[in-house]
Amino acid sequence: MSESLHGILHGLAVAGMPINVLHTLLGVFIGTMISHLPGIGPSAGIALLIPVTFGMDPATALMMLAGIYYGCMYGGAVTAILLNTPGDAAAVMTVLDGYPLARQGRAGAALAIAAVSSFIAGTLGVTALTFVAVPLAELALQFGPTEYFALMLFALSMVSALTGESLAKGLLSVFLGLAVATIGIDPQSGRPRFTMGMPELQEGVSFLVVVVGLFALAEVSRMVEGTLAGTMQIVRVKGRIWFTREEWREAWPAIFRGWGVGFFCGAAPGLGGTISAMLAYITETKVAKHPERFGKGAIAGVAAPEAAVNGDACGAFVHLLALGIPGSGSTAVIMGAFIMYGIQPGPMLFQTHPDLVWGLIASMYVGNLMLLVLNLPLVGLFARVLYVPPGILLVIILGIASVGVYSFNTESLNLYLALLFGFIGYLFRLLDIPKAPLIFGLILGAKLEQAFRQAMTISSGDPMIFVRSPLAAGLILVAIVSIALSFWAKRKSTAALRGALATEPG
Amino acid sequence: MRDWLLAIAILLGATVYLYADSRLPRLAIGDPMGPRAFPALIGIGLLLSGLLLILETWRKRAAAAPHAADAAAGDPKHLKILLALAAWTALYYVAFEPVGYLIATPIYLFALLAFFNPRRWLVNSAVALGFTASAYGVFAGLLNVQLPGGLLGS
Repeated sequence: MSESLHGILHGLAVAGMPINVLHTLLGVFIGTMISHLPGIGPSAGIALLIPVTFGMDPATALMMLAGIYYGCMYGGAVTAILLNTPGDAAAVMTVLDGYPLARQGRAGAALAIAAVSSFIAGTLGVTALTFVAVPLAELALQFGPTEYFALMLFALSMVSALTGESLAKGLLSVFLGLAVATIGIDPQSGRPRFTMGMPELQEGVSFLVVVVGLFALAEVSRMVEGTLAGTMQIVRVKGRIWFTREEWREAWPAIFRGWGVGFFCGAAPGLGGTISAMLAYITETKVAKHPERFGKGAIAGVAAPEAAVNGDACGAFVHLLALGIPGSGSTAVIMGAFIMYGIQPGPMLFQTHPDLVWGLIASMYVGNLMLLVLNLPLVGLFARVLYVPPGILLVIILGIASVGVYSFNTESLNLYLALLFGFIGYLFRLLDIPKAPLIFGLILGAKLEQAFRQAMTISSGDPMIFVRSPLAAGLILVAIVSIALSFWAKRKSTAALRGALATEPG
Repeated sequence: MRDWLLAIAILLGATVYLYADSRLPRLAIGDPMGPRAFPALIGIGLLLSGLLLILETWRKRAAAAPHAADAAAGDPKHLKILLALAAWTALYYVAFEPVGYLIATPIYLFALLAFFNPRRWLVNSAVALGFTASAYGVFAGLLNVQLPGGLLGS
């Protein structure tokens, strides 16, 4: 407790440095812009910005990248309310009541409630993160390779069982990610594996190349189809961006319930923002006095999912920072950035890089405040991004993606690989395969193998070591149960969710 | 139908992966597993997910549900445009080093803009040149990345 307090105070001093404030602002600003651009979500946005951060202080860079992530979570509501289109997949539930509210002339109220609930949930979430992370990290320091292996297996099984509609396709995505992670020199024996004789591949397939291809380039294909299919109708905001007393009375309990649901979902690996928003929305329809109003413009139907999404984003940071396990597709991309800067996220982080981790957490308080300003008085200004012709936008995305991938290590092979993964991403969309599990597999692959081989070395090749530790055995059991349950469960999903889950992980 | 093809592709891919793995040298000094064991598990996992996909597709076959994927995705007219886009991008990547960033990029962008944002020559030229210049400024200027000079020399 006191350690956390001391840490966060120190972090605030780090986050308050002008250069860090500037980059946090830049991050949340870019995140807000990205959230307004249909087709490009947080994962693609973060990946496109990673090359620009090379040479920066890692703490500063991470503050910016994290800002993009939660900035995007904040701003997704704007297009949901004004355009009837979620700016990112996590805002899909906000559409259900946000757009009807806008049609009834209450766009200002819906936007204000979305911004305020995002702010409350974000701030509560960061506070919880501040105090939960250290105890969890201390617990995780006791973990040996067996427990780590089980924990990662658990995260991978959750993400493959819970994203998308088909268990087989989720598993397939995870295993593909793991397989891509094995390309390159085996760090323990020094032998090249699956490099197909190409020396450029000895360092492995860069995670940046995969993410840019899979998310940015593949999403361009969606934008192309959107551009060709026609334009969208924007509802104009009339009147003041604020809500009435009655609306607030209805919204605030929903904000707290939504936050609770979101934070706990975020703290479970694999449950992205979309699922949190969905669960929060369902909770509201269950506790509401007038459930029939949902879908027709209930203010709680905007407040709860928005709070959940932002609570979830903070929850996902808990085990990214404390355990080194990503919580969602986007935090997996942020974890990739950590690794590219040569920093291994996980329990040791609080001891080896206290400036970085506490600075990052503290910057999230600052960023949340900035977002409240960006999303309340300035929301009209940002909505103008929506008027940029999509034809120009997709060309700019292609340009940034190409230069960014090349600049990573000035290797043209990376350009071809990015194009290949862009094609794979397109196939994934065509075949309804979720992308988040692949990123999880790719990011965790090396650590999973290391833990596996260390554990097997300790036991001199006896696989029973994984069930001798009660914690490891428990986690593996939960992993197996979650896979088995998702195999037997008949998936119920509404048409809206079905579309959203296949597009982009929260 | 698509899912059957996918399942077959996975099974084939997993077999190739496992074969490549089996060709890796066995180096078991102090490491009972060596570099082969973990990829072997992944390969088996891929095989199993392929088989599971066959099972899932088989179970769904009776329901004959309409395809849930994006309705827009896979439209033959869009497919042609996407293929052309991919080919043009591949050409840009091939030209990137020999022709050079400063020449290849504006041409690549301008052609795309002419197609996706037609008839707005002035705006499109400004975007193509402006993007090339500002990205050059950020990457070559601020970040010291060596962008290829190509025909312009380095």
